[in-house]
Amino acid sequence: MSQRQNDNRSQEIAVVGSPEFTTGFRLAGVRRFENVPDDEKPEDLDGAVTNVLEDDGVGIVVMHDDDMEHLSRSVRGEVETSVEPVVITIGTSGAGGGGLREQIKRAIGIDLMDEDADADPTET
Amino acid sequence: MAKDVKPTRKELMQIEDRIELSERGHGTLEKKRDGLIMEFMDILDKAQDVRGDLADDYEAAQTKINMARAMEGDVAVRGAAAALQEHPEITTESKNIMGVVVPQIESSRVSKDLGQRGYGIMGTSARIDEAAEAYEDLLESIILAAEVETAMKKMLTEIETTKRRVNALEFKLLPELYENQDYIEQKLEEQEREEIFRLKKIKEKKEQEEKEARQAEADTGSTGEVDAEQATAGGVPGGD
Repeated sequence: MSQRQNDNRSQEIAVVGSPEFTTGFRLAGVRRFENVPDDEKPEDLDGAVTNVLEDDGVGIVVMHDDDMEHLSRSVRGEVETSVEPVVITIGTSGAGGGGLREQIKRAIGIDLMDEDADADPTET
Repeated sequence: MAKDVKPTRKELMQIEDRIELSERGHGTLEKKRDGLIMEFMDILDKAQDVRGDLADDYEAAQTKINMARAMEGDVAVRGAAAALQEHPEITTESKNIMGVVVPQIESSRVSKDLGQRGYGIMGTSARIDEAAEAYEDLLESIILAAEVETAMKKMLTEIETTKRRVNALEFKLLPELYENQDYIEQKLEEQEREEIFRLKKIKEKKEQEEKEARQAEADTGSTGEVDAEQATAGGVPGGD
């Protein structure tokens, strides 16, 4: 049912966020990063994200969950649907992108990522 | 819609062909949609596991880097981060699942040993090494999550498209075709009934005409006989 083919394209991982967020990834060797201090996020985060999204050398973009709130509607939509590069948001919630969840609801018809649905109904 | 269709036998045959094709396409698309959903469910299970691991790895990495910052200072951590020489790279292979091309991401130079990191062993402490290692593990999880989430996004787009096509066939195209088929069949039946009625009327009219002609002929015949009789009965006066 599945076939494989090699694209032979070497790409990098990019990180966008506050300097505290990006430092750890730089420690792991990530060199493509966009530092946006917390107080500048409302103005500058859109531009930083757009820069990395338009960079063909970037295959994966890493962002913090909370930073999604600072993005404008259009950039946020782009982040949620982008496949090349794919944007991975991480945070303490571990829920993943809200856009993906919405897309699942739309395509399948039910919220498969609903954590309450998996929980034991007898639990209170 | 049905009013735009010409009620002819040829049009009916064309519509029947289209119905057959649409029904076959509808069945195939339904199977494709169901197959994609099943494949997607497998990926979703994997994605939920990967997401859980990612959250754990992020928390562990944060704890390690916060510890390093507290013990060594932010400047030392940033200094070590700026000294890195080996950079992780990813290469993408593609895999085809039921016509959907999903990526398979291979990574290189993500996990490194102390010597490969480039910031030197003497100048930094074990806490920075631990933080670097934790972030390398986090990167591995991120790469896995990227692969799975890209596959999910692509499959969801395909599922949505297929679902739209199935619905368009089921609720728009096929009902319209059935409606047109019924309309043409009704019209053709009506035309047939009209034709039969017309033929009947013509037949009746012909029979009536024939009957009238016969009657007229009979009438003409009987009138001639009466005249002849009258002529015979009257005779020639003074003929005796």
